Amino acid sequence: MGEEWRLIDLLVDSAPRQMALDEALARLRLRLGTPNTVRLYRWRPSAVSIGYFQSVEEEVNLEACQRFGVDVIRRITGGGAVFHDYNGEITYSLVAPEGDPRIPQDILESYRVICGAVVRGLAKLGVDAEFAPVNDIVAGGRKISGNAQTRRYGVVLQHGTILVDSDLKRMFQVLRVKDAKISDKLIKAVEERVTNLRRYLGREVGFQEARDALVEGFQEAFQVELVPGKLTREEEELARELEAKYRSREWVFRR
Amino acid sequence: MRAEYKVPGGKLLVCEVSVEKGVVKRIRITGDFFMHPEEAIDELEKRLTGVSTGEAESRLLGFFEERNPQLFGVSPQDFARVLRLALESGEPT
Repeated sequence: MGEEWRLIDLLVDSAPRQMALDEALARLRLRLGTPNTVRLYRWRPSAVSIGYFQSVEEEVNLEACQRFGVDVIRRITGGGAVFHDYNGEITYSLVAPEGDPRIPQDILESYRVICGAVVRGLAKLGVDAEFAPVNDIVAGGRKISGNAQTRRYGVVLQHGTILVDSDLKRMFQVLRVKDAKISDKLIKAVEERVTNLRRYLGREVGFQEARDALVEGFQEAFQVELVPGKLTREEEELARELEAKYRSREWVFRR
Repeated sequence: MRAEYKVPGGKLLVCEVSVEKGVVKRIRITGDFFMHPEEAIDELEKRLTGVSTGEAESRLLGFFEERNPQLFGVSPQDFARVLRLALESGEPT
């Protein structure tokens, strides 16, 4: 293996903190010369994240989120609403400079390459998945991962979700589904389009197992070694500041 | 007034617009699309505010031509379409 990248391993934390960390790592990558970083994480409490351009009222059933203790957050990346189920989902993020030789300048091509690392990881688990442009990964024709990227601060930040064992019923309670009620019929329709590791493989997949596979996938795809590391003091400090933004009503209800 | 437009094989656009005396008072275009840089959406909405409804579509297309943000899942024509649909909807927001 060639170069070393930092791995921030399977961190479990709240939505505002996770989003603040992704942004802090992106902002400081060039300013402080921090290493390229892959983070793997889970959201506790479970949360709904919406894309930068989405309307919170259009996408989220706020009353249901409150009732079930589900956080609501706006990402700095575009794309759609995601239910990050603490018990059913693992998220990755990647921060690397624009112009890194391993990451295409062209945005769509860079989705292909970064999602390719996830696809390789899924293959380790026995999942035959493929990139579905613009920003999805599908297995057996069904979506198993959604991804979103931004280019800011001279870096590429991409984060994405891998469905491990998602609670579709809860998903429908917290997300607003256009022109339809939460019915068994609707859940069935979504089951046709969405899958997860447990369902695809017909067995339980632990978070550690999924984590190991993703680490291998990223290492092989980028020909780097992911070395478990720590956040720097500056990253921790900036993340604490940014967390306030992500918690603010002004940010979440911005659109 | 409000309209939704799901781009075939692409993303969703929702346009909410309020009009007073033939002038765009407030406009929001939301959806699950991608635009780089992201802040271009705020510029676009600002650019359309205070514009007469008859001119809004050409201003929108002009903005995309001039600013040229990268779009995924939607095109400038799709933005124009959802704006037109919203302005024609007559549906109060």
